[in-house]
Amino acid sequence: MATHDTTEATDSTTGPSKEVVTWKTKLRYFLNSDFVRSSPYWGIPFVLMGIAVYGGIGYNLAISFTDYAGIGRPEFSNLSLEMYRTALADGSFRQAAFQNFVLLVGFTSVSLALGLFLAVLLDYGIRYKETIQTIYLLPMALSFVVTAQVWLWMYSPGNGVLNVFVTALGFGSIDWLGNPRIALAAVIFALVWQFSGYAMVVFLAGLQSLPSDQFEAAKVDGASTAKTYIRIIIPQLKQASVGAAVVLMLFALKAFDFLYAITGDYRPPNGTDILATLMVREAFQYGQWAYGAAIATMLLLLSLSVIAPYLVYQYRQGAL
Amino acid sequence: MGSIQLDHLTKRFGETVAVEDVTLDIADSEFLVLVGPSGCGKSTTLRMLAGLETPTAGDLYIAGEHMNYRVPQNRDIAMVFQDYALYPHMTIHENVRFGLEEEAGYTDSEMDERVEEVAETLGIDDLLDRKPGELSGGQQQRVALGRAIVRDPEVFLMDEPLANLDAKLRAKMRTELQRLQADLDVTTVYVTHNQTEAMTMGDRIAVLNDGQLQQVGEPLELYHEPANQFVAGFIGEPMMNFLHGNRADAGFVGEHIEYPFDERLERAVDGVDDLVLGVRPEAVDVRRADESSAPNLGPHEFEMTVSVTETHGDQNILSLTHAAESVDHDVLRAVTDGMHIVKPGEPVTVAIDPETIHVFDGKTGKTICNRRIETARELTI
Amino acid sequence: MSQSTPDTNIDVASVVEDVNLRRIGHYTLIIFFLGFFLLPLVTGIMTALKTNEAIARTVPFMPPLGGGFTLANLEYAFSQLSHAFINSLLMAIPATIINVLLASMAAFGLTMVKWRGQLVILILFLIGIFVPYQAVLVPLARFWNNTFPLADMLSPLFAGIPLLQSYHADLVPLIITHVAYGIPICMILFRSYYQSLPNSLVEAAKIDGASITKIYRRIILPISKPMFGVVFIYQFTQIYNEFLFSFTLVSSASSPEAPVTLIIPAIGTSTSGIDFGIRMSAAFLAALPTIILYVAFAEQFAKGLETESG
Repeated sequence: MATHDTTEATDSTTGPSKEVVTWKTKLRYFLNSDFVRSSPYWGIPFVLMGIAVYGGIGYNLAISFTDYAGIGRPEFSNLSLEMYRTALADGSFRQAAFQNFVLLVGFTSVSLALGLFLAVLLDYGIRYKETIQTIYLLPMALSFVVTAQVWLWMYSPGNGVLNVFVTALGFGSIDWLGNPRIALAAVIFALVWQFSGYAMVVFLAGLQSLPSDQFEAAKVDGASTAKTYIRIIIPQLKQASVGAAVVLMLFALKAFDFLYAITGDYRPPNGTDILATLMVREAFQYGQWAYGAAIATMLLLLSLSVIAPYLVYQYRQGAL
Repeated sequence: MGSIQLDHLTKRFGETVAVEDVTLDIADSEFLVLVGPSGCGKSTTLRMLAGLETPTAGDLYIAGEHMNYRVPQNRDIAMVFQDYALYPHMTIHENVRFGLEEEAGYTDSEMDERVEEVAETLGIDDLLDRKPGELSGGQQQRVALGRAIVRDPEVFLMDEPLANLDAKLRAKMRTELQRLQADLDVTTVYVTHNQTEAMTMGDRIAVLNDGQLQQVGEPLELYHEPANQFVAGFIGEPMMNFLHGNRADAGFVGEHIEYPFDERLERAVDGVDDLVLGVRPEAVDVRRADESSAPNLGPHEFEMTVSVTETHGDQNILSLTHAAESVDHDVLRAVTDGMHIVKPGEPVTVAIDPETIHVFDGKTGKTICNRRIETARELTI
Repeated sequence: MSQSTPDTNIDVASVVEDVNLRRIGHYTLIIFFLGFFLLPLVTGIMTALKTNEAIARTVPFMPPLGGGFTLANLEYAFSQLSHAFINSLLMAIPATIINVLLASMAAFGLTMVKWRGQLVILILFLIGIFVPYQAVLVPLARFWNNTFPLADMLSPLFAGIPLLQSYHADLVPLIITHVAYGIPICMILFRSYYQSLPNSLVEAAKIDGASITKIYRRIILPISKPMFGVVFIYQFTQIYNEFLFSFTLVSSASSPEAPVTLIIPAIGTSTSGIDFGIRMSAAFLAALPTIILYVAFAEQFAKGLETESG
């Protein structure tokens, strides 16, 4: 208060403060501030995560530009896009990418549809709802590995449950996973069995967050139940659908565990090879590290192309 | 001791200015009410005092010490929040004790003693073992107060502390808070949007609008001598009547009313054309129109029709429209005593004493002249 | 009123009929889907309890009758897996605890203060949820095997700790890996919870003179106990069920430190094909811990999933 400068005092709105504040005071304030004091809380986990995720991605990218294979160390002196060119020209890569796409779209859309159907089924005033929901969701608690074993047995060409039904109906026994033309559909079916409960839970939460008077208003207006759901309720589940779809797609991208566990080998059933299995096989079975890294980078780009619009959408919704 | 100075205090959030160039001195042990409509910057001002927001410009002093660069933890203040912000997982005892743990010079048993002492003052000593969720709104409010006073701070900051209570309890707590503040003798800054709270509780009131300080003064000063039209309209319930119009030879010409000026008003409005007349509903005198004879009206009397009557028991609030016009446009509101019942549709004669008229500049809203108080009384003797 | 009475009578009758038919259809669908979700599980359990002869002869989902019943497969599977169970728990429990704590701290730190640039940090965390593990697998293997062979450094140390074996040291890189990649999703789960808490709680604590650390320990941590339950169950299930990291970092299914998931695809395989009695027994045993957790805490589990989709 002591140093009072008239010109400063009159310049009131934007004028500098009259108090002489030393840099020491400011530094002490800064060091005491919430920003500084809270930074270790997020900083330590962030660094750990950052090294693992982004360090890993960066290193993987670097390796993908080399020709690193076999035993030894990667040689970073001669970088090129060679591995990407090889991959894009390779028939098995293209096939894996195509099958990956089919798996992604097929699995996600079927799971969403079934999940929505189950959610509506359970939303409409039934008894033992909690118990039924728990059972529908039960497969989610299993690992990919266990699901794979269960469905391997369900699909077994010998005495598997599906073939018990099929032969009971008078058809010949089918080798579900052995036939390359239906193996991918069989895999998608098994994954839908495991994850449609997840979509159901998300939709149920969305349904329950809607005010119930909408439903009542529609009833008063004389709309049938089916019509109410289709015209009024379901369109409002957009946010839930987007969220569920993104998470389901990521499950699909991680389907490696399932495919590996079916055969217990790097090579999944014929017709079900996807980028994830191809990448692991190239890198860890054949030691083609650089080639595997290149495939992994493309898999990452595929994931990012799914997530980026989702994040933008979330940001626009103010949900971040 | 606990005096507060705000010196050209400004807070911007990006482009928007929340508080603009507020300069305000609050004396030690004063009860100052910051009042204004929502979004006027009163809460932001309080939060700057608390250290929860950093001023963009200007200086802030508590007890003579510069506060800009001090975190809330080191300001020796206490704050009562609108939602009370009690820690839901702690008992009332732990809630009140929490702040005491950081104060130097208490042993464990002294802290417990102090908590019990404060609880007794507030009448919550039998609730100490309960959790906030088990308490009523009024009891939670007391706990929030207890948490504030237990540390014996330099300054109390209160952010709409009574807003979540029902009307009866609010009136009761108002008196209690005042008594408490007087007993503790601690400087208090109290934020509210409720002008009744402001009028009844504050030693002084600071009215804010759009981030700018409109006027600071004692309640009656603001009521009788508002600095501008905003303060005049904000303080007082029911609200002051405003009549928009222009200066004419005889005085004032508005949309619904022509009002001749007396000498005092004539002198005051000299040279201003765009005018707003203000008159408090209490100063509007209403009597039954004399239907039998031809109207014999004075220059400051008007024929009007009652459109709505609000009965309050002790008083009635009448909405009045001009007799010649359709009923859908109210010109004035008037307060009459409770026994004097006027039905809607009844014609009345309305008299407005020129002594009670406030005049504001229609362009700037600044007060040109306020009603007469002292002289008016002398005249009637 | 009197006019509408006949109308209502007709309505009531048709509504009753309608509702009954619809109800029956509704519950039939619900029961059908109960079958759909339970049949593979029931089949697995029944198969686990059958002799090989009964497996070949009977319908897979029928319960074992008379001489077809045996516990031999379960016993054999357990003897094969008992070590792996310990490995899995030794890995999943510490990893989950550290993970959940760090994630809660990160979420607290990021919701505590608003500052510019925070969004960047948040988005980096969010993307971390969605990165396919394949994209870091080669570096991960190189890092733990060549660059920083932590397991080799620790194994002499672990040999000296009672109840632990030197090969348990191989689980440490796995734990760290799980923690690092598990932080993002758990952080987001906590964050959505902390954002729902009223701001004034933290502000009141600050004015009460509490430091950030005290606010975390005394206010946030106790209040978020229920959320800790949710995240812990979710993340434990994830780590216990995880396959790819173990597959990459553990040399083979026959290694002593192999967790359960790694062994299952290899168990009960012979030259004559897969022994489903043993395979189903092993799968059932492997799934048992998470199924128990899931059934006991179904509500928390569902809540974790709901939040995950944002």
